[in-house]
Parts: sequence; structure tokens; C-alpha cells
Amino acid sequence: MIAGPLLLLIIPLAMAGIVYILLRWEFLSALLATGTALTLGIAVVTLPLDQPVQPFSFLGGDHQIAMGEAVTFFGRELVLEQADRMAMAFLFLTAAGLFFLAWRFAPHSLLFPMGLALLSLLSSALLIRPLIYAALLIEIAAALSIFALQAEGQPPTRGGLRYLTFTTMALPGLLVTHWLMERYAVTPDETGLLSMTASLLTISFALLLGAVPFHTWVPAIVGNSVPLAGIFVLTVNNGAIWFLLLDFLETYPWLSSHPRFGPLVTAAGLAMAIVGGLLALAQRRLGSLVGYGALVDSGCALMALGMNSRLGLTLVFLSLLVRPFGLTLMAAGLSGLWALNGNDDRFDALRGLGRKAPWSTMALIFGGLSVIGLPTSAGFVWRWALYRTLASPNPGSALCLLLTEIGVMIGMWRGVFALLMRPRPSEGNRSPRITSEGWLTAAVVAVAILGCIGVGFFPQTLAPLAARLADTYTFFAP
Amino acid sequence: MPTLVELLARVSFLAAMPAVAGILVTAGLLVVSRDWRLNMTALTLQYFFVVLLLTRLIRLEVAAVKGLIGWMICLVFYLTERRASALKQSSAVEDTEVSRRWIIPARTSFCLLAGILVSVAAYTAALHIPLPEVSTDITLACYLLVGLGVLLIGLSEAPMQVGLGLLTFLSGFDLFYVALEPSLAVAGLLGAASFLIALATAYLRTAQVIVGSEGKTP
Repeated sequence: MIAGPLLLLIIPLAMAGIVYILLRWEFLSALLATGTALTLGIAVVTLPLDQPVQPFSFLGGDHQIAMGEAVTFFGRELVLEQADRMAMAFLFLTAAGLFFLAWRFAPHSLLFPMGLALLSLLSSALLIRPLIYAALLIEIAAALSIFALQAEGQPPTRGGLRYLTFTTMALPGLLVTHWLMERYAVTPDETGLLSMTASLLTISFALLLGAVPFHTWVPAIVGNSVPLAGIFVLTVNNGAIWFLLLDFLETYPWLSSHPRFGPLVTAAGLAMAIVGGLLALAQRRLGSLVGYGALVDSGCALMALGMNSRLGLTLVFLSLLVRPFGLTLMAAGLSGLWALNGNDDRFDALRGLGRKAPWSTMALIFGGLSVIGLPTSAGFVWRWALYRTLASPNPGSALCLLLTEIGVMIGMWRGVFALLMRPRPSEGNRSPRITSEGWLTAAVVAVAILGCIGVGFFPQTLAPLAARLADTYTFFAP
Repeated sequence: MPTLVELLARVSFLAAMPAVAGILVTAGLLVVSRDWRLNMTALTLQYFFVVLLLTRLIRLEVAAVKGLIGWMICLVFYLTERRASALKQSSAVEDTEVSRRWIIPARTSFCLLAGILVSVAAYTAALHIPLPEVSTDITLACYLLVGLGVLLIGLSEAPMQVGLGLLTFLSGFDLFYVALEPSLAVAGLLGAASFLIALATAYLRTAQVIVGSEGKTP
């Protein structure tokens, strides 16, 4: 019998090696990476936890896979629980979507092999107990991300370096917390240990999630790296961080019941959203704009967590589920424009490029609509619910969030306006009359846009999933 | 021929304030200097002094393995910088001319002053905020490594400087954390993290040299 958790760690890692060897053949490497992530994502949600299955019986194989079986790996226990199961499915399926878009927008990039290796590491981080090992695995994942983030023939990725720096800074707090809690279990009279633990965890997760004032890596990771790899970090890596945070809250329930938890998280979220919105307004580069859009989105998710309720937690999960739709589309659009414009994403340099790259521009616009949270887009699904929930107890916060959206919207408008402007006469003469994007790219973008709009029109596809995920955590239970 | 563990045992008399002084000098050199040969020497010696202090907290064999990881990191950096300097030989002439002028650049003076300030702050912190489970001299070494590591990261966005800063920071934390959690699995994962940071730094440094952006990054 094969233990399922072990397969979830070994298969992506083995495939990473194979994909690296086959990187020269863009279709094959993309197909293998997408197929691996998709298959594992589907397997992790469909295979039962409580009984072994024979997935290869139709081939005559008699190997059984037990998804729920605990595995001891180098003396540490790996367990696949209900909550981890959904979290891992989210990571694998998001990565599959990113690999699919990277097939057309970042072919031959190290995102494929490194992304698979990252999936293995992040899965280990979610499965391993105790949580200190998760912190170490996330640090290793951050170092590995650098290889995917660095664009070929470009200066060193500033965003990647900052991301690695902030993740490294967060490591001590997470590791020391475990020791403090062990000490508190022995000497429960020392309540100072709890305050110290809470402070360390707050700082560590603020660093990991890019909360203000530790947010500088968020815009830089999209603006100064391979955009799709940057979004991989902001959705898959950060998704793992969110699930790790929730695991911490589940393990130490006194954290969420602390009287300052709600106000602190709400204030941090509001600060992120306001700073993101204001700075998005002033951006002159598309890459940074996407980063600030992600910052606002993370801020809104923190505000949902700060509600300190089951509904708030459901909204957090909904935000995690819909975030990749908008951000991946924006990153794909940005990659397409970069490729045509020598990696220059300044608004001035992009003038008239929308006519040469209509599909990339479409991807950018539809992704932007979702990140802003406008109706008919995936982002609207959870933003609308957030505003409605916030409006009655805290109308000021709801209004502030709406205003931050306007900041991102104006930034987007300026970018799109530059893209759709008539090119300068000298440039216009040079522009080919035919589109420079092939029909395959068009098809990939069309599928991604339809997915984004589909979720916007049919939120019932994701909302029950978010509610089920929230049910697996008990720290906000009455 | 003596083994590494025997060699470490022979110099264990240095594993107190002399090792802390060595850490202060080597980490200070990393902050002030931009000469890669000097930096590599300083980093190698820094790992030696850290290993000496580690021998007081964990088994000699484990400390030796941590030292080996550190020296492998130094080797990675050495090979990267050697290749980088070979690729940009033309600009090396210019560098030599500047260094012959016997003038301390403003940047060096600033880094030196900032390093002194951080060292004083680390000394004060060691006196007033002692770390649990470790002695005062190791507390001082931890604060020095963490403080000067953060300073190194903050002073530059060049990949090599940031990488050296991150590794110095991690060395400081590792020195403290082994006293709290002497598990081999944690030691192995921290070693793996350090080595991957070194590889990532070397990768970015190579990208920097290939693009020819040397000197553009502050």
C-alpha cells in the first residue's frame, strides 16, 4: 500500500526533474507540468481519505493508495487532513492554471520545473507536524522561487531578493514560537510567554503576507521578475502562508480569542488596502500596478479575517479561491506585452501596443476587472460579499475599501488608455497590420477569460467550497 | 592526519570571547568591504568562529557538519565571484586605479560608522535583553551577527551583499536556536535553507554579470 501524502511530495519533485530536462520542448514541458499539477489536484480532492483505493486497477496493477494514511518522513509525521486536502487541491489547481498560461506567455522558463518543486515543498509544509518544520520548508521554497522569478537576460530580480529577505526575517519568529509554547505548557503561570508568542507571530506573518510596512516585495515581485512566476508566489506560495496562518490559529485558539486580534488584523488589512490603493494611483508601470492590486486584495482578505467570525473566514477562503483568476490573467497580459516591448512596461513605452497585442491587452483588462472586484468578474464574488458584511457594523471601513478600489481602477485606466492610444506616427508605420499573437495564444487567453467571467456569473461553483473549508476550522466556532 | 572534529577540539579554547571578537571583525569586514576576496575570507573565518561557539551548545560532530555547510557556501561564492571577475576583466583595471588613491570612500566611512553603531546596540542589547538558554558571550555573538546581517541587507540591493547579509543573519539565529531545539532535522533543514540561499545568490550574481549591470546596482 502506498501512502498518499508521500506521493504528493515525490511525484511533483520527480516530475520537476523530468520537466527540467524537457524544457527545450515548450509544449511537452508545459503539458507535463500542467498535467501533473492538474492530476494531483483532482486526485487529492476525489480520492477518499478513509479507505484505500486501486487507481491503476484498469491497467492490471494491484497497488493501493491510502490518502489518509500518516507517513513518518525523517522522523516527522505527515498527515493529510480534511482542511489540508482542500488547501493542497487549491495549490495544485492554481499551479496548473499558471502552467497552462505559461505555456504561451513564459515558454522555456524555469517556472515549470521550479513550480513543481515548489508544489512538493509547500505540500510538505502543509502536511508536516509540528509546524516549525513548515516554517523551514517555506524558507527553502522562498529560496527556490528565485530561480523561477529571475527572467533570462534581465538584471537580478529585486522583488525576488526582497521576498527572500522578508521570508528569512520571518523565520526566527515562527521557530521560536514553538519553543515558547512548549515552555508555556510546562509553566502555565508565565502569561508573558503568550504575549511574546502573539507578538512574534504577528510580526512573522506580517512579513510573510507583505503587510504594511513590509510590503515592498509585493509590487517588486511582479514588476521586476517573470510576471507569471511573481503571481505564482503571490497565489500559490502566499496561499500556503494563509493556510499555515490558519493552522497556527487552529493549533493555538487563544490567539484568535485574544481581545486585540480582531482590531489588529483589521487595522493591518485596512492599512494594506489604503497604501495599495494610493500607490496604485501613482504608478507609471504596469508590473508595479499588478503588485499593488494584489496588495489591496490581500488587505481586504485580512479585513475579512479581522471580523473574527465564521462568515469572515468563509470570505477569506473565497478570496483565496478567486484571487488567482484575476492575477494570473493580468500577469499573462503583462508577459505578452513585455515580450513585444523588450520587457519595458512603462505606460509611455506601451503606447499603442494594445493594437499589436489585443489578446494580451484583453487578458490584462479582464484580469484587472477581477482584481478591482467589478461586476461580472471573479473578484466581484467575494468583494461584494465583503462590502455587504462590513457595511452595517463598520461603514467607514467599507467606504475606505471602495475608495482603494477606485485607486487601482484609475491606475488600470491609465495603463489601458496608454495601450489603446493611437501609436506615434513613426511607431505606427513600423507596426504590422496583422496581430503578433497566434491563435493558440488567443485560445488560451479566451479560456482563461471565460473561466474568470464564468466564476463571476456562477459564484455558486466556489462559494459552497469556501464554506466547507471554513467548516474544517473550529477557532471561530461559537 | 587529524580529523575535522579533532581539529575543532584542539582550538576549543578560543570558543568564548575570542570567537565573539572574531565574529565582530569578520561581520564588520563584510559590512565595510566590497572586495570579494576579502569578503570570502571574512565569511570563511566567520563560519569558523560560529562553529567554535556552536561546539559549546551541540555535539562536536553536528557543529562540524554545520561548519562544512558554511564552507561549502563560501566555495560556491568563491567560484561565482572568480568567474564573474574573469568576465569583467576590462573594468578591473579601473577598480585598481581607484583603490590606489588611498582615499576612504564616503560609502565605506558610512558603512563603518553604521557597523559601529549596530555593534554598540548589540552590546547594549546583550547586557539588557539576555537570550534564554545561552550565555552572555553567545548572546552578544547572536546579536552582532543578526544586527550586522540586517545592516548588510539594508545597505545594498546587490545580490551578493544581500546574500551575505542573509547568511550572516541566519548564522546568528542558528547560534541561538540550536540551544532551544537541538534536533538534527531542524539543523539539516536550516543547513539546506542556507545552502539554497547561497545558490540563489550565486544565480542572481551570475545574471547580474551577464547583463553587465555591475555598478548600476547600488
